[in-house]
Amino acid sequence: MRRTGIVSYWRQYLAISPFFLVFVGFNLIPVFFTLYLAFQRWDGLGDMKFVGLDQFKFLIHDPTFWLSVKNTIIIWVLGTFPMLFVALIIAVMLNAGVRFTSFYRIAYFLPNVTSLVAVALFFFAIFSSSNGLVNAVLHLMHLPQVQWLQNPFAIKVVIALLMSWQWTGYNAIIYLAGLQTIPTQLYEAAQLDGAGPVRMFRHITVPLLRPIILFTLIVSTVTGLQSFTEPQVLFGSTASVNPNSGGPGQAGLTMMLYFYHQAFDNNDYGYGAAIVWALFLLILLFVVINWRLVARSERRERVR
Amino acid sequence: MRRFKLGRASIHVVLATGVLISFFPFYWMVVMATNTTADIYRYPPKLTPGSHLIENIHRLLDSIDFFGSMLNTVMVAITTTVLVLFIDSLAAFTFAKYRFPGRNFLFGALLALYMLPTQLAILPQFIIASDLGLAGTLRALIIPPIANAFGIFWMRQYITSAVPDELIDAAKVDGAGFFRQYWQIAIPAIRPGLAFLGIYVFVAAWNDYIWPLIVLVDPDRITLQLALAQLNTAHGTDFSMVMAGTLLAIIPLVVIFGFFARNFIADATKGAVRE
Amino acid sequence: MELSRRRLLQAGLLAAAGGVTAACGGGSKSSGSSGPKEIDLWYWAGGLSDKVVADSVTHFAALGTVKPSVIGGDFKQKLTTTLAAGRSLPAITGIKGEDIAALLPQAKQFVDLNTLGADKLQSQYLTWKWKQGSTQDGKLIGFPIDIGPTGLFYRADLFEKAGLPSKPEEVAAQIKTWDDWFEAGKQLHGKVPKSFPVNTVQSILSAAIGQNTVRFIDTNNKFVGDQDHIRKAWDTALKPLTLGIDAKINDNSWNAAIASGAVAAEVGAAWHGLDISSAGPDTKGKWRVAPTPSGPANIGGSFLAIPAKGDNHELAFQVITWLLNADNQGRGFTDASLFPSMPAAYKLPALTGPDPFFGGQVTIDVFGPAAENIPIAYEAPADAAVSAPYYNEIIKVETGKDANQAWNDAVSQAKSIAQKQGVS
Repeated sequence: MRRTGIVSYWRQYLAISPFFLVFVGFNLIPVFFTLYLAFQRWDGLGDMKFVGLDQFKFLIHDPTFWLSVKNTIIIWVLGTFPMLFVALIIAVMLNAGVRFTSFYRIAYFLPNVTSLVAVALFFFAIFSSSNGLVNAVLHLMHLPQVQWLQNPFAIKVVIALLMSWQWTGYNAIIYLAGLQTIPTQLYEAAQLDGAGPVRMFRHITVPLLRPIILFTLIVSTVTGLQSFTEPQVLFGSTASVNPNSGGPGQAGLTMMLYFYHQAFDNNDYGYGAAIVWALFLLILLFVVINWRLVARSERRERVR
Repeated sequence: MRRFKLGRASIHVVLATGVLISFFPFYWMVVMATNTTADIYRYPPKLTPGSHLIENIHRLLDSIDFFGSMLNTVMVAITTTVLVLFIDSLAAFTFAKYRFPGRNFLFGALLALYMLPTQLAILPQFIIASDLGLAGTLRALIIPPIANAFGIFWMRQYITSAVPDELIDAAKVDGAGFFRQYWQIAIPAIRPGLAFLGIYVFVAAWNDYIWPLIVLVDPDRITLQLALAQLNTAHGTDFSMVMAGTLLAIIPLVVIFGFFARNFIADATKGAVRE
Repeated sequence: MELSRRRLLQAGLLAAAGGVTAACGGGSKSSGSSGPKEIDLWYWAGGLSDKVVADSVTHFAALGTVKPSVIGGDFKQKLTTTLAAGRSLPAITGIKGEDIAALLPQAKQFVDLNTLGADKLQSQYLTWKWKQGSTQDGKLIGFPIDIGPTGLFYRADLFEKAGLPSKPEEVAAQIKTWDDWFEAGKQLHGKVPKSFPVNTVQSILSAAIGQNTVRFIDTNNKFVGDQDHIRKAWDTALKPLTLGIDAKINDNSWNAAIASGAVAAEVGAAWHGLDISSAGPDTKGKWRVAPTPSGPANIGGSFLAIPAKGDNHELAFQVITWLLNADNQGRGFTDASLFPSMPAAYKLPALTGPDPFFGGQVTIDVFGPAAENIPIAYEAPADAAVSAPYYNEIIKVETGKDANQAWNDAVSQAKSIAQKQGVS
């Protein structure tokens, strides 16, 4: 082997340099810059002023911030767990050897590539309180109508439904791919032992699918906690007095929307940076919790 | 045996219901976009497509520059896709097939950042884009997606398995340099992978919302998603017009997706299952 | 260090992006060194009369190219991010009335219009409006477009049906205070149950606050949002809710409610007439305007400004003064319900003529006296940010929150926002 200097690798460095230039400029520096900004007061126009921990102190005592945390978590819970459960059921059914799986897969995946803005506008139209399709159907079934886009809880349900519509199929197909790696002999053996479908689901499917469940859970956590487009399109610009405040009762004010409102409506870049760091910590916390829960149940399973 | 058949049928019923739910918004968009707003408001509502699509599209074109913004989106999405495919596959090829000082460190740094939510960087991204004179221009939309950590991560895995080392060694013996190996050996071997990543990037660029919302201003230079969202500002209750817009906006993607769907879905799931 | 790194980045990024991106076009604007002068004009839909703007293009064709752009979405955000970016700034931009106070501290970003000769025109415009667009040290940042004197818009036909007086003079005679109004509203809703006299308590709150000479922060930069004048406005606004005559419309089902007659009256600024007529074109002729109960207020009314980094300041100023001269202010009123900021325009036929949407009523009879009697209040830069919690919280009362709790929450949030913004 010849000893060569770093220079002899110039081709390789050249090949990765465009990627890394953008990576450093638009990812690495910004992440640290956000941290730096969180300790400043800056409106983006004048001079920056170092304010120490003031932004974070304000954050802790800001009820609107905590409301946005609450909203974000409720929407995430409503839009993630039922969705993943349904996705798993669909995947198990698809895996039961039915025909037309490739058609089903395309049909289920389609919502995931549809523009979120278009879907949000569509949901706005059908959930519109006075004349929307949903209330018309409720009326037809002699059920009470709901003020979907005004009631604080209903607003969260609408956003969660929107997320679920977009992501159920995607997750089902991911689960399906995982299910296909489980050897059928396991099920046959269990069947010989007299296990029913529910027991097989609990004792074979779920444990073996655990890494993939964890993957979908983490993806859903990271995307779900960052929800922005749904409430912004639904409620962002309809309020004339107070844009991007999250709709009636601020019920659709997610953390990302609050960040956007503070940074770009109020020009409070420092506070915006503090909010987005808080969001990051929340995401981290939830990812770690997911990880621990899934890992712990795995351990328990093994002991048993 | 009888019970088994019944189970099979009920599985199909459940799955078909799911398909209906998946498809319903598209159907209902067609219904709303082809009827008048008054028809939509009526109780009970009209359930079938009507004949008012053209006039709804006319009103749409009066309120936003639909085709102008679509053209912007097409240009941004295509340019982004070409750039990402080239830059990311070249870098991924280098990481997959070459050893060089700092390789593991650089790739590790990339993976670590991949874990961070992208929105953490968005405020400084805007400031940097402003400093570079990109804010307000469509170029601002093209550059940040180049550093697509998922793209390079996925591509590296793909190249590792799809491009045999022997092929590269043989090319070396033939005297092919680094860039010729990439262009003549790697590229032909990873075409399916490029197709997947291409669609992935194209769809993401087509649908992106928050970043264009922050950096774009000039109505001549906004993307389709921004133009659509603006329909909800002024007179949001003209649903037939708004839905004509959403319908026209999603048709191109649905067509592209339908065309590539089979392979795309297979590739999309591979990454997750392999983890 | 940061700077040099950025430079390096810039070179690298542009090289990386290569010529491919050139295809996407739309780079930075020409700085007007040669060729015809370009005047980019930014406003929002309804911010100026589109016809006057179109005429300005031909009027100035010999001097330069006026290029109007109607900016969609959140106008203030678009303007401030462009200011922050410091490039591609328009020669002229609109500034909404509710945003002007917050932008005055950024006076450096704009041209002091007095240096271009605005001071000579000052006497022609309403004094309080002129002051609103000026910094405390007398720089004129915003040139007045319109003002927003409020009135009580109401459906004469529904009033008649409910046995209420329907002619504007009779309404004015019977409804003098908010309490008179809510009494009449009860009768209206009682007789015509599908119609409500109040669309949302938020609109009453904003008018009632505007009836004071003090807002949330006083001239000594002290927070006064917890004092009686705000509390009174808050309590007034909540009365329709307790009386059950509030339609609680706070999303854009408003348009449908106007069209269907579910909203039979509304307190709003003169320019709000355009919103009503475009939401309910079929209700033409059925609406009238009466004086605001308990006195007029000003809501909104906007400005034109010249960003310092825009091009061709002198020509831009010429365009502004032309767009907002008396004749064009009159046309602005006809086309876009923009109530003139220049009293000389009040005598123009455009204003003294009957308005068919309002059944032939001469609306200046209501808005003219209102414009003269608007209580003049100091609006601090932080006013909009500090007032936000009140508007958010009062909507929560509409959706079920306890009123006292909402008040306390609004005050404590407003206090901490004020403190953060450097208000004592």
